[in-house]
Amino acid sequence: MIRLQNISFDHCIKCTVCTVYCPVARATHHFPGPKQSGPDTERLRIKSPELLDESLKYCTNCKRCEIACPSNVKIADIIQSSKWRYFKKSLRPRDFFLAHTDLMGSVATRASLLVNFFIKLPPVKLFLDLFFRIPSERRFPKYARGSFLAWYKKHRAEQEAFAERAVYFPGCYVNYNNHELGKDVVTVLNAMNIGVIVSYEKCCGVPLIANGYIGRARKNALLNINSLAASAAESGARIISASSSCSFALKHEYRNLLELDNSAIFDSLDYITRFIHERFLKGNLPELKPVRLRAAYHSPCHLERMGGVMNTIEVLKKIPGLDLTILHSECCGIAGTYGFKKEYYRVSQKVGAELFKRIERADPQIVITDCETCKWQIEMSTPYRVEHPVTVLARSIDGGKL
Amino acid sequence: MRYDCVIIGGGLSGLTCGIRLAETGASVAVISTGMSALHFSSGSIDLFGYNGEGRTVYRPFEFLDEFVGSNPRHPYALCGARQVREALFYFRGQLDLEGIELYNNDESNHFHVTTLGTLKPTFFSQRSVFNEKIRLAFEKKSMIAALNFEGYRDFYPELAVINLRRNVLFRNIEIITGKIVYPDYGDPQRNPFEYRSVDIARIFDTERYLEELAVQIRNAASGAAFAAMPAFLGISNFKRHHKLLQELTGLLIYEIPTLPPSILGMRIDNALKSRFASLGGVYIAGDTVTGGSISGERLESVVTENGGGSALSAGSFVLATGSFFSGGLVSEFSRVREPVLDLKVYSDAERSRWYAPEFFPRRGHPFLEYGVETDERLNPKTGDGRRVKNLYCTGALLPYYNPIKEGSGGGVAVSTGYRAAELILEGNS
Repeated sequence: MIRLQNISFDHCIKCTVCTVYCPVARATHHFPGPKQSGPDTERLRIKSPELLDESLKYCTNCKRCEIACPSNVKIADIIQSSKWRYFKKSLRPRDFFLAHTDLMGSVATRASLLVNFFIKLPPVKLFLDLFFRIPSERRFPKYARGSFLAWYKKHRAEQEAFAERAVYFPGCYVNYNNHELGKDVVTVLNAMNIGVIVSYEKCCGVPLIANGYIGRARKNALLNINSLAASAAESGARIISASSSCSFALKHEYRNLLELDNSAIFDSLDYITRFIHERFLKGNLPELKPVRLRAAYHSPCHLERMGGVMNTIEVLKKIPGLDLTILHSECCGIAGTYGFKKEYYRVSQKVGAELFKRIERADPQIVITDCETCKWQIEMSTPYRVEHPVTVLARSIDGGKL
Repeated sequence: MRYDCVIIGGGLSGLTCGIRLAETGASVAVISTGMSALHFSSGSIDLFGYNGEGRTVYRPFEFLDEFVGSNPRHPYALCGARQVREALFYFRGQLDLEGIELYNNDESNHFHVTTLGTLKPTFFSQRSVFNEKIRLAFEKKSMIAALNFEGYRDFYPELAVINLRRNVLFRNIEIITGKIVYPDYGDPQRNPFEYRSVDIARIFDTERYLEELAVQIRNAASGAAFAAMPAFLGISNFKRHHKLLQELTGLLIYEIPTLPPSILGMRIDNALKSRFASLGGVYIAGDTVTGGSISGERLESVVTENGGGSALSAGSFVLATGSFFSGGLVSEFSRVREPVLDLKVYSDAERSRWYAPEFFPRRGHPFLEYGVETDERLNPKTGDGRRVKNLYCTGALLPYYNPIKEGSGGGVAVSTGYRAAELILEGNS
C-alpha cells in the first residue's frame, strides 16, 4: 500500500544530482547513491519487499542529498524509513548499546573513572573489536561523573529567578559526557539576562532511529514533546538545544520520520545559535572579551539541512580576536553511531578524509563545530581540539582560557 | 538577519550577480532550493546561436547590435549590447580566477558537440571543448576517435557519430569509434553499467589510473588526432588531468557533455560558488524562500522554510529563481504563476496556446517565452500592479526570449545577473 503522504519519490526526475553530493557514494562504490537507494528502488520495495537491496544500509542519513535535490524529494527520509520497514531489527548487543545512549549514560556516569579507564585499555578494545565489532581504532567520548541534571538541580532556583527564561534540552552528551558545555550554555544565557530551565526527559532519539529502534524512539519523542511543551508553556519561553542533531530530530525527524505531531514545540524550538543571534541583533549583546585564537569552523550536516549555519557564523564573528576560517562544507563521516561500527568504519573515515585535509590546511589552534559526534570524529582523526561555538562564546564572556 | 543584498536563486545568474556585488564589499546572501540547472548544462556559455529564421548566427555581437534595436523587450535589450559584452568578459575573468579558462573564437561563435552528435553554436567553452589547437586540427580535417568507457550508459559514440557524419562540417573527416575498459577500480561486484558520469570523474580525480587510461586511449584512438570522450575528466582537478592526459597520449582530448549530472556544468558551478565564498558571500543551500513583505515600492524582507519565522531583510533583492524547471515559474491549469511573491507574469491566458504540438517546433514553444514582466531596470510589478523598486529579476525567469530557439540561455543569465548588480551598485552610489 502506498501511503499518500510519502510519495515525494514521484517528484524525482532522475537527475542524479543527489548522488553527486552524497559523501558515502563518493567514498565507496558499495553504496549506489541516494537516487538509486531512495526514490528509484522505493517503487520496487512498495511492489515487493523482496526487492530490497542491502546496500541502502550504507546511508548515514546525513541529509546532504535533500539539500542538493532540486525537486524537493525527501530522499534520506525515504531511505531511512525503508531501513526499518524492511530490515529485521538488529539483535546485535552492540547496536542496542550504541542506540540506548541514556541507559548507557546513566550506568556509566556512576562509575565514570572506571569506565573511562577500561574503555581505553588495548585488551578491552580488542575484545570490543572481536566480539562487538566496534573498531579498536575508534575512540570513545569520556563519561562525566554524575549527570548534568544533578548539577542543574543545585542551581535551579537562581535560574528561575530570571525574568526571561529559555527551556534548554541538554541531550545525552551534555547530561552524561560534557557537563561543561551545559554550564557554558548557562553562562552565555545568564550573561544575556536569560535564565535556563533545563527540561530533559529522554534521549532525542537520533541513535535509536539510526539503529532501527523505532518503537523506543517514538516513546522517547512523545515524552520529550510533552515535557518540553509543558516547560515552555509554564514560562512562555523558547526551547533551545545546543546539539545540532538533537535540534534536528526534535524539529524535523519527529515530524517527518516518526510521523508524530510535534506542533506543540515546533515553532518555539531553536538551535541555540539562532536564539542567541536573534537576541544579539536586537541589541542584547553581552560584553565580550578578546579571545586570541585562530579557529576553523566546520558546519555539521544536520545544521546545514536545518538551516542556521549562518547564525553560528554570525555569532562567532562577534567574538573579538577570533580569527575564523570557514571550512568548505563537508561531512565528517561519523554520522552518530555509524562510525562506531566495524563494517562502516573505513567508509566513515574515508568520508571524513576531505574535511580532515582541509582542517590541516587551515592549521587552526582549535576547530569549532556545533555537533558532538563531529567533535569526536575530528578529535580522533586530526591533531586538533574541537569546541562548541557556545563554549567559545562563554570563554569570551567569562575571560576563561580556551 | 540583514544583508546589503539577498539573491534568491543560486544558479548562473544569481551567482554572477552575487560575485559582482560581493566584489565591491557588499554583504550578499544567496539562497538556493537545490542544486542549480548548471548541473544539467553543457558547460559552454551560449550568447546567441540562431536568428529568427532558425539560421545559425556566426558573429553574435554584431548580430546583437541590430537585434536589440528591433526587440526592445528582449533581456539583452534591457542590458544593452555593450553591457552584454562587458558581462560576458567579466564572467570569463571571474572563472579564470578559479582556474576555469573559457575560450572564445574571437568575435565568432564556435560549435560544441552534444551527446547525440549534433552541433550547437556557442560563445565560450572550456579548454577541452574549444581552443586554438582544436580549431586548427579540425580545419586540417584530422581524424577523430569517439571513445567511450565500456558499459557507460549515458553516451553512445556510434549514435553520435551517425549524426556527426550527417553534418556538412564533418564531410571528409574520418571518424572512428572505440572503447576503453575500466581500470581495476572499486569492487568488481559492482556493474560498470551503474556508473554515472560523476563516478567516472572521480576515477580520474584519483589520478591513480591516468597512465593506464592514457595507454588505452592511445590504442583505441588508433592514429586519430582527437580522442572525443564523454565529459568526465575529473571535477576538482580537471585542468591538470586534461593536460596530463594530452601529454601522455599525444592526442587532443575533447569532451562531450553527458546526460546529467553534467561534469562540464558542475565545474562552472563549483568555480562560481568558490569565487563567491572567497569574496565573503553567504550561500544558503537547501532552503526555499516562501514569501516576502512588500511595503510601498520596496521589498523589505523575505522568509524561508528553514528560517523559523525570522526574516531576512536587505537593501535590495534579486530574484533569479529560473524558469519552470527550477521552480521560478509554476504552471497551474489555467495560469502561470511566480510562486515567491506572486509577481505579474507575462503569459497567455489560453492554455492551448502555451505549447506547440511538435516536441521540437522550429518556432519554439511559447511557454519558454513566459516570465516575470519587468521594466527596463529589471524591476517587476506585484500582482496588483505596484512596481517593486529594490527587487531585480534576472535569468531564465525573464520573459520575451526563448533560450532554446535562440541558443541564448547562458548569455541572458550572465548578462542580466551582471546588469542587476550594476543597477544595484548605481543606486547605492
